Amino acid sequence: MSVIVLLIAAGGLVAGGFLAAFVWAVRSGQFDDTTTPALRILFDDRRPTTTRSEGPRHAQPRS
Amino acid sequence: MEATLDAPIVLTTCRHCGDPCAGGGVRSSHGRFCCDGCATVFALLADRGLDDYYACDVAPGVSQRTAGPREADRFAALDDPAVAERVLGGAPPDGTGAGALACAVFDVPSLHCASCVWLLERLWQVDDGIVRAEADLLRRTVQVWFRRDHLSLRAVAERLASIGYEPEIAGETRQGAATPARRRLYVQLGLAGFAAGNMMIFSIPRYANGAPLEPAFQALFDALNLVLATPVLIVSAGDWLRGAWRALAAGRLTLDVPVALGLLALYARSVAEIATGAGPGFLDAFAGLVFFLLIGRLFQQKAFDRIAFDRTWRSFLPLTVRVAAGDGVWQATPLDDVRPGDRVLLRPQEVVPADARLLDATGTIDYAFVTGETSPVIVGDGELVRAGGRVVGRALRLVIVAEIHHTELARLWRHPAFTRATQPWLTDVAGRFGAWFTAATLLLAVAGAAAWWPDAAMAAQVASAVLIIACPCALTLAAPVTLGTAMGILGRAGLYVKQPAVVLDLSRVDTIVFDKTGTLTGGARRAEPVDLTPYEWRLARRLAAESAHPISRAIAGDTVVDGTVAETIETPGAGIRGTVDHRTVAIGTPAFVAALTGRPVPAVTGTAVAIDGRLRGWARLAAPARRGIESALVRLSGTTTVWLLSGDDGADADDWAPFFGGRVRFRQSPDDKLAFVEARRRAGARVLMIGDGLNDAGALAAADAGLAVSDDTACLVPACDAVIGGDAVPRLPALLAIARRARQVIVLCFAVSVVYNVLGLGLALTGRLTPLATAVLMPVSSLTVIGLAAGAMRWIGRKAVAA
Repeated sequence: MSVIVLLIAAGGLVAGGFLAAFVWAVRSGQFDDTTTPALRILFDDRRPTTTRSEGPRHAQPRS
Repeated sequence: MEATLDAPIVLTTCRHCGDPCAGGGVRSSHGRFCCDGCATVFALLADRGLDDYYACDVAPGVSQRTAGPREADRFAALDDPAVAERVLGGAPPDGTGAGALACAVFDVPSLHCASCVWLLERLWQVDDGIVRAEADLLRRTVQVWFRRDHLSLRAVAERLASIGYEPEIAGETRQGAATPARRRLYVQLGLAGFAAGNMMIFSIPRYANGAPLEPAFQALFDALNLVLATPVLIVSAGDWLRGAWRALAAGRLTLDVPVALGLLALYARSVAEIATGAGPGFLDAFAGLVFFLLIGRLFQQKAFDRIAFDRTWRSFLPLTVRVAAGDGVWQATPLDDVRPGDRVLLRPQEVVPADARLLDATGTIDYAFVTGETSPVIVGDGELVRAGGRVVGRALRLVIVAEIHHTELARLWRHPAFTRATQPWLTDVAGRFGAWFTAATLLLAVAGAAAWWPDAAMAAQVASAVLIIACPCALTLAAPVTLGTAMGILGRAGLYVKQPAVVLDLSRVDTIVFDKTGTLTGGARRAEPVDLTPYEWRLARRLAAESAHPISRAIAGDTVVDGTVAETIETPGAGIRGTVDHRTVAIGTPAFVAALTGRPVPAVTGTAVAIDGRLRGWARLAAPARRGIESALVRLSGTTTVWLLSGDDGADADDWAPFFGGRVRFRQSPDDKLAFVEARRRAGARVLMIGDGLNDAGALAAADAGLAVSDDTACLVPACDAVIGGDAVPRLPALLAIARRARQVIVLCFAVSVVYNVLGLGLALTGRLTPLATAVLMPVSSLTVIGLAAGAMRWIGRKAVAA
């Protein structure tokens, strides 16, 4: 009996963690656009042929 | 057409946009382009090492030719903080120095493929001030993060435009974003799914055991189920409870009421059973039910996502107007600050923002959108120019005479017909059905309780079981899933429906009223010779090729004409003359040609052509019929009554009359069209109006279903139920067939769910509705309906596309 209670508690904790992660993902906008990212992954990264001046090119600001 | 017989046809496609290069196009070191605009964009991208953009099968670019000449200062309005506010969003807290980033969201209607996404997300390679850009293909927006100290918002918009993606700046403040609603649905769905899955696991031991479990276990599982079910009731099912409450407060019965009643009965009885220790309740079935109901919502949401309708008459007007500021300076001024009495300068392709009077000797205005008239109108000094007209040919100076908000355009937009007073058919039916259903359910519950009466416990159990099983969940699922899927299918075929209920309106149509210009006809206007020999027509076309005026361009056509031209003199707004192959040729307004020939020229609509000092004939502007429209009309007239109402003078009435069995009317004003549609409806017909432009707007709104035709995503869409792409108009018979099929699928789903309900009611009234039966019956009925609705609609869609 007590083993099962322990297992249910552990299982609930893990599942609850996933639920929380899902809610966080939705709130942070990861489900806002489900079309474009599927295309984005197909693009090859090619270095630009012209060299560009300084400046953080891949800066990732948070909104 | 005879004109092409003696002209060599040169056909190459543009490297940027893939359009045919009319007249050989523009040659540059990079290849051949249809216009300078496309060549410029290509050169810019090649220079930045972004020519991978062109790596896909079809030239991805947006043609810069049809866009017409654009003004360098057209984004000046973005320097105004109030206008900038509409675009800026999600900006990080204001900082100073190099770290000051701003974030702007632009609508880019021309965003259409993977290459567009690739290029737009490499904006940082185009300009150092841009840090990052993110495109959204579905909603056609680009979010740009840029450094405020390097770039102004206006410069960002200009950068976008420079690579061929003209951003569209909303004329008014953006309405509340749809994002929170979509996110909320996902959270609701996730929570319900999570709870339903876990509760099923907690309930299985008892079902499998076939007998009550050890009390300690049962108490644990019951407690866990309660903990999981309560947030489902509050968060996931909240929309139905609130919807039902609002309906009851307003004294109406919608379909939300029986759903909310069923859900509450399910929850309340389960809590009561657990509290009294009578049993485990039905909480697992409850969570599963809410989960399936939310899936129905998801179908609807997905269909809505593809379509954004938030245009008003303001989106048709320019953002800024150049107003005379004295000293010959034209100051770009936000539209709201333009007052009567202001003198304004409008360049070609710009729209007259308010009723105004012309200050120049003569000018050409195209009212095609407002009145449906194909030929541009020539106005003289001091004449009134109405708002909504488009300047053609060359820039005009005007003095504004009316307030922006008091123009004919705004008045038409505010016409009572636009505010749809008629309730959509589905809401109506659902409302009546909801009332009937609620009454029947309550009656049955009372009757069931009475039948069991002396046994109070049993009576309460039967009454609640009836409420639970009669919950019209499958019924509520049938319409949104079917119509949501149908909306997606229709959208892919080029018909964008605003509301799911419109699909049902389309399925019931028996009379179709067509507009002509822009609906049956489409594409670039073409000129046709009248009374001219092929040789004379060739001379006229050769001369016209020397002019940039739109009428001249239409006469010159898409193909190259040989011949030597000399001594051309163009009188703006009147005509052009010159020597072609040593013959004197003049084309222009009747007055222009009359002055040259010294003989009066009859004033008919058209462009006069004179050769060697004598009037030889005319060039008449015509819009070509859409490809395949004739067979579509033949198919439609088999099942429905078709009418043609056109705003123009009926010069080509004979071409169209046969397809309509003579049911054609010309010279119809917007009010005539509106009155006609209303009269048909009063006579009992269910009318589908299909038209473009503001002249059809009243009729579109008055019809049972109004389809606005749009060849250009950026075009304004007046009050209508759906927007149909120009190319999709000939597919109308197939599209209407899909709508009719959708209605049959809904009826089928209703039948299936009624079978389940009758089965369940039988169990409920005899007091045999066990938790296990509920846990099986309710999800199975929901799943059947979802599967049937979505599956049948997809199958119909595939068949329709294949046909």
